[in-house]
Amino acid sequence: MLVINCPYCGERDQSEFSNGGEAHVARPENPETLNDKKWSEYVFIRLNPKGIFKERWVHTHGCRKWFNAVRNTSTDEILKTYKINEKPPSVAEFDTTIKTPSGEPDLGSGNFTVKK
Amino acid sequence: MTASNNNKNSCVTDSNKVSFTFDGKKYFGFDGDTIASALLRNNIKIIGRSFKYHRPRGIYTCGIEEPNALVQVLSESNEPNTRATVKKIYSGINVLSQNRWPSLKNDFGYVNNLLSPLFSAGFYYKTFMGPKGFWKNIYEPLIRRTAGLGKPPKEFRSKSIHNHHNVDIVIVGAGLAGLLAASKFIDSEYDVILLEQDNMLGGSLNSSQKIKTIENLETREWLKKIENLIKKSKNIKIFKNTLATSYNQTNHIIALEDNSVGKPLASHKPELILHKIRTKHTILSNGHIERLISFRNNDLPGVMLAGSFEKYIFRYGVIPETEPIIFTNNSSTFSLLKSLIDLGCKPKAYIDVRDESLIDKKTKNILETNKIPFYFSSEVEGCDGSQMLETISIRNKEMQIKKIKGSMLCISGGINPDVHLFTQSKGLIKWDEKYLTFRPETAFQNTITIGSANGNFNFNKIIEEINEKLSLFKLKELKIDLESDCPEDLNIVELWETISEKKSFWSKSFIDIQNDVTTKDLRQAVTEGFDRIEHLKRFTTNSMGTDQGKISSINSLGIVSKILKKNISEVGTTIYRPPYAPLSFSAIAGRSTYEFYDPTRKTSIHSWHVKNRAIFEDVGQWKRPWYFKKNNKENMYEAVQRESKELRNAAGILDGSTLGKIEIKGKDALEFVNLIYTNAFTKMKPMTARYALMLGEDGMIKDDGIVCKINDQHFIVTTTTGGAAKVLSDMEEYAQTEWPHLNVYLNSITEQFSTFNISGPKSRAIMRKVFSNIDFSNEKFPFMSFKKVNYLDTQVRILRASFTGELGYEVYISPKYGLELWEKFFRYGENLGLIPYGTETMHLLRAEKGYIVVGQDTDGTVTPLDLNLNWMIGKNKKDFIGKRSLSRSDTSRKGRKQLVGILAVDKSKIIEEGQHVVEKSSIPAKIKFPIKYLGHITSSYHSPTLNYYVAMAMIEGGNELIGKKFYVTQNKSLENINVEIVKPIFLDPENKRLLS
Ligand SMILES: [Zn+2]
Repeated sequence: MLVINCPYCGERDQSEFSNGGEAHVARPENPETLNDKKWSEYVFIRLNPKGIFKERWVHTHGCRKWFNAVRNTSTDEILKTYKINEKPPSVAEFDTTIKTPSGEPDLGSGNFTVKK
Repeated sequence: MTASNNNKNSCVTDSNKVSFTFDGKKYFGFDGDTIASALLRNNIKIIGRSFKYHRPRGIYTCGIEEPNALVQVLSESNEPNTRATVKKIYSGINVLSQNRWPSLKNDFGYVNNLLSPLFSAGFYYKTFMGPKGFWKNIYEPLIRRTAGLGKPPKEFRSKSIHNHHNVDIVIVGAGLAGLLAASKFIDSEYDVILLEQDNMLGGSLNSSQKIKTIENLETREWLKKIENLIKKSKNIKIFKNTLATSYNQTNHIIALEDNSVGKPLASHKPELILHKIRTKHTILSNGHIERLISFRNNDLPGVMLAGSFEKYIFRYGVIPETEPIIFTNNSSTFSLLKSLIDLGCKPKAYIDVRDESLIDKKTKNILETNKIPFYFSSEVEGCDGSQMLETISIRNKEMQIKKIKGSMLCISGGINPDVHLFTQSKGLIKWDEKYLTFRPETAFQNTITIGSANGNFNFNKIIEEINEKLSLFKLKELKIDLESDCPEDLNIVELWETISEKKSFWSKSFIDIQNDVTTKDLRQAVTEGFDRIEHLKRFTTNSMGTDQGKISSINSLGIVSKILKKNISEVGTTIYRPPYAPLSFSAIAGRSTYEFYDPTRKTSIHSWHVKNRAIFEDVGQWKRPWYFKKNNKENMYEAVQRESKELRNAAGILDGSTLGKIEIKGKDALEFVNLIYTNAFTKMKPMTARYALMLGEDGMIKDDGIVCKINDQHFIVTTTTGGAAKVLSDMEEYAQTEWPHLNVYLNSITEQFSTFNISGPKSRAIMRKVFSNIDFSNEKFPFMSFKKVNYLDTQVRILRASFTGELGYEVYISPKYGLELWEKFFRYGENLGLIPYGTETMHLLRAEKGYIVVGQDTDGTVTPLDLNLNWMIGKNKKDFIGKRSLSRSDTSRKGRKQLVGILAVDKSKIIEEGQHVVEKSSIPAKIKFPIKYLGHITSSYHSPTLNYYVAMAMIEGGNELIGKKFYVTQNKSLENINVEIVKPIFLDPENKRLLS
């Protein structure tokens, strides 16, 4: 269970929040002008990286505000949270954080607990 | 050759006798005994039957790691799989052995032992494959009867509460290392929680004589002193009987406190407390676990881990056997040897696989002085005995086999730091070539490991280790003298398994004793290609029992690494997952049980429904009247037919309070509603309403409802009962994330209104009586308009709308006045034929009109175009959610499934919901080729007004098939029903009734 820092309420238990998938995927302003491929990319395609990921969360059982978070999907560490109207941080900001737990490779399975 | 009591220096004394029952027979133990120690005191060595082969099994360990001694506690709601080595007895506890039938001694399933070739690695996957039907009728019942562990309790009862803590430090384990660490925090600025699974502090200090004195005090005296000091310190909380089971992200620790240790359950107190602890730092001082050695019949009752044997002597005051035999590959058994001599017991033999040069002087000295027969460079080849250990075969240096008699064998295959919690926290472990075990290497979270949990087995170094590892805190240096006469080095040599001489079905060398996995199974699995440790585990079920292979999983890595000719660190371990030890579902549930987990929501009219014989339907958490029984004899079909008919003849009233209601306000409310729903709302007049659809961005229908426009800045919308919460969330999401520039406020008002739907030809007459000052004429109160009306000292909103196809009104009133108004309707309406009706009648009536129900006629793959609801799409609107998707190549293609009506050619036929629409008149008895399937029936009801079945279906290219004949399959026949595809409207297509 994570602790998530709601930019409006402060640190709360994960059980109060819901995840909303990849952040900064803006709804196109003029959908009618897009071809099928471009529109489908907006509707269906989302990133799912191992590592640093900017994603949306909502404080469902709290202030009900949507906000953004930077999470390392490999370590599950939430590195930063910020309001939706705030500028997203650059990835370089998190260069010094731990990339993977337990000596895992940057890509692939998480089944590594033994140091070789 | 019997057990004896240690009255000299144990934690359990004979002052208080306690009577208990095991398998129907009464015994006595002492206050503080576990079930296991009490049974050993009574010379009971067989305690259960094994999982697959039903071999007799005894007590193998003295703690949480126990693989065998699991019992059913009859006196505690039949609690199964209770560890006899942990559960403390009290007067009157009634315990039953598990997995045997008809009795422990004469067990029928022992025949499985003879059939053992059937039960080798992967037996579940291979043996029980065919023929067809055998699994369900023969294998599964057989396996259920003979395999498995205890029986589940008959009743579920909540017996736990959850506590939350936020602290600076959690210390897991109050053994020597944990207590020394805790003592550093005494009167410091840190908030500390100290967790101990036993009901006393001390850990190995209680279970051995390895340490003689601490600070010049006898160890038990020192324990008393240190416990008092810690207790007095206001910043440290001690939880005894509390087991840390999970170490999650963000230093979140779950620990389970057993609140009823050594006493019967109190009905008025929680039996278990689940502590959820957030901490800044965790100190793991949770010790170590001894491991076994695999040899022929190493599962016989009488074989026990050496450290556990020693623990029984000092922790529980029972010497399980006064003349045991010891078999080891390391120096940790020295203290057992010495303790036995100190207590006047003489081991029958000492077998050590190590070369004489590796065996410490102290051990050799004791053996020689006391003339104990010893065998160096030797090993136990195997054991024999019927039911229990009788003879032990020793393979000596010269590879000769020598047999000796004995009833207990104490084995030690080495010591593992208990890295379970450490790896749960995502820490990295490393293979230690010196101690032949995995040790914590790098912590991922703020985790500090100390003592034997860190792989430090040398007592003389512990003070230094703790001072160094806790140096990041502002604490005093520990300066404490310890006196120990244990050998400083473990001097362990590798020994996972000895070679068996005898080959027979009875002779098995076990690796996982609980799951009956043998070393042969491991070899077979590798031969069959399961050479990855995670695969091997699943295929053999090795270390998948309730003990998770605590005493054997490292051994299996050792054996597999030998087979694969790899290093153990290359083989790797399987992932350790929470919980550390099984915990009752009740502990996880806490107070969230029954209605506290899933509350029931009732409308303000509920009591009236109950009085009037309503049968309820669960819609989400709501209780909705499904239908009303006229009398006790009337069944559901009859009631629904009657309600439908009477409503179309006169009038009916439905409690629609559960429908979701959302208020939308703000300067930009109109624009917002235009973007959310498909319909166009700009030209809509104030105080009118519209049936509206809500889509996802993929163009599929998500919800429907009625949008009421009070003015351009104020709307009230209804949602389906089940969709209410989701629709509000979605609206909020768009308002905040996509259109933050729009000024809108959203509010759920579902529970602020009771809602009634009055419908039927007499509804206008009834409304006139109830609201006598309102003009209900068509001119003044047209279809899809609404009014705000004063009523008593409140206001009522009346909307002219209908879901039945009849003239109808919806009334919204504060729930406070709901029941009063509902009863008023009946006072005025009963002689006009007003009846209450439920959701099933509502569904029937709307189907006659071809109105859809979202979630029944649609399933998340249906667009408005598929339902011919093109008229509901505001084509001139620039944008709304899902609009662009309606012109995607897939959503606009021909041949998509479309909504049609279905009527049987022979009108007496019954069309069932969910059946397929096909081209052929019958289904072949044996299907050789796929049958072309056009679609399926989404709704079907017997219409009492028309006196035949009316059905709707989603069919490929349905619009082009109107007038064509097809077939509908049946549940219990291969003959299909001939049907005609019609427009999905069966009654009053001109809407005369609706607009009357
Ligand atoms: Zn918040």
